Amino acid sequence: MIHIHDLEKSYADTPVLFHISCHIRAGEIFGIVGHSGAGKSTLLRCLNGLEGYQGGSITVMGREVQELDEEGLKQLRREMGMIFQNFNLMQRKNVFGNVAFPLEIWKTPKEKIRTRVLELLELVGLADRAQDRIQNLSGGQKQRVGVARALALNPKILLCDEATSALDPQTTLSILELLQDINERLGLTIVMVTHEMRVVKRICHRLLFLEHGRTVCQGATDDLFLAPKQDLKRFVGDDYTLSPTGTNIRLMFPRELAQQSIITHMARELNLDFSIVGGRLDRYRNDVLGFLIINVDDRRLESVLNYLQEKNLFWEVLDDDRHLA
Amino acid sequence: MIATLLESLDPLVVELIEALFETLYMVFFSTLFSLILGFGITIALITTAPHGLRPNPRVYAALDVSVNLLRSFPFMILMIALIPFTRLVAGVAIGSTAAIVPLTIAAAPFVGRILEGSLLEVDRGVVEAARACGAGDTQIIFRVMLKEAMPSIILNIAILAITLLGYSAMAGAIGGGGLGALAYNYGYLRFRTDVMLYSVGILILLVHLIQTGGNFLYNRLR
Ligand SMILES: Nc1ncnc2c1ncn2[C@@H]1O[C@H](COP(=O)(O)OP(=O)(O)OP(=O)(O)O)[C@@H](O)[C@H]1O
Ligand SMILES: [Mg+2]
Repeated sequence: MIHIHDLEKSYADTPVLFHISCHIRAGEIFGIVGHSGAGKSTLLRCLNGLEGYQGGSITVMGREVQELDEEGLKQLRREMGMIFQNFNLMQRKNVFGNVAFPLEIWKTPKEKIRTRVLELLELVGLADRAQDRIQNLSGGQKQRVGVARALALNPKILLCDEATSALDPQTTLSILELLQDINERLGLTIVMVTHEMRVVKRICHRLLFLEHGRTVCQGATDDLFLAPKQDLKRFVGDDYTLSPTGTNIRLMFPRELAQQSIITHMARELNLDFSIVGGRLDRYRNDVLGFLIINVDDRRLESVLNYLQEKNLFWEVLDDDRHLA
Repeated sequence: MIATLLESLDPLVVELIEALFETLYMVFFSTLFSLILGFGITIALITTAPHGLRPNPRVYAALDVSVNLLRSFPFMILMIALIPFTRLVAGVAIGSTAAIVPLTIAAAPFVGRILEGSLLEVDRGVVEAARACGAGDTQIIFRVMLKEAMPSIILNIAILAITLLGYSAMAGAIGGGGLGALAYNYGYLRFRTDVMLYSVGILILLVHLIQTGGNFLYNRLR
């Protein structure tokens, strides 16, 4: 759907994106993640030509964005909806007027606009608010209007720039559910810019991590979080104070194993005592996955590792090279 | 009937009413024409501005300087300097119709600036959202910026009309007619303080009416 190859972008003389390459597949929810100032918004805005770029290439649905003329860009944007952190709705139009706007721009007949807008408001759950003023809506409702407007022209791709960052956790969840629903029902490809890990884990299939305009890593969400590489750990602040004695082992629970009581099993089978140093269970889209860091006495290390090996678990010895796994 | 009514009135009252209509005539048309001219300047300014729709530093700088230059001309000087041009456009150099020409020319750069201010207040995010839907420059200016800025534009139009009311009184002094001329002719030249006070009173009332109307519309639209 979208191919980015060796992209370079600078503002005046300040480079902000360096050699970004990635491939966004049709029908997936793709996350662009990073801290503030990493260049996420800039990258997203390059996708629909709101920003130009200096090097590399972006092809969206087979079209090189940089090479499109005025008319070509408009056509491309028609096929790519966009929603924003601050909603960016017109204050002087009501809910209906805002959703109708893209349709009016593209000279849709009045009757068609009416049916389409009502259909969209139904989809986002605002059917009874068509005549409301924007000021009278809550943040979540405003974003729903934003989503309806972005979908008005039946786009194939939806770009979201921090779409939930201005919302409380509960509202965030409801908007994410809406996006997920749209993704599944309409087969819409969604590109999601965010700095919130819970958003990413909740709905993104695959991810690109950016830091200071450079790729930290990319891949499927569960792979990245279950077995994070060193730079990703640093990136998400995933550092536990490890116990200095014994050996710390990180156990990863992928989808199939998450529900089984591996830990207690191991303790019983090996007649073993260990302490739990840290861990986390997270909801990744529709699964609960996680990891646990346990501290094992060095004398029992061998048998523990054998057990883990035998059960085909994913694990990693966390300490430095004092202990050779 | 109106004629007989006017005849029965004090001739001074008739003159006051005539002057009022001349003033309204000058203010209305100079406001209208300067809005049209000034809006052209506004569009040129916001389009070529550094963060505008089509940034063009040279054109912007040229416009910027010309606008400032025109605005710094004292109105009396401008009015006299424009006499040949006025004769060309209006056919006459004296009278209410003629006064509309220098009033419009003097106000246009002012309009250019204040409307630029109004349009710059429009949230850049909203403009970007429109752009992301595939809207072109013209659609963005007319359907987004103008629409969103309307309350602030209305307030600025009230300011414009009040400014032109003041200028029209000056134009009146050199043959434009209107309340300003009346106040000057009777009050200053013929020592009829009462006529002067009436004229000034009506001017005060007009200013108040325009401002109240502007505020009312502003609150309705916001
Ligand atoms: N129009 C611009 N002109 C110049 N520099 C810019 C412009 N927009 C962004 N930048 C710079 O580019 C870098 C990346 O900005 P960008 O907005 O893409 O970051 P971001 O990852 O979206 O951050 P945030 O999470 O705060 O939105 C920043 O250093 C920023 O200062
Ligand atoms: Mg951003």
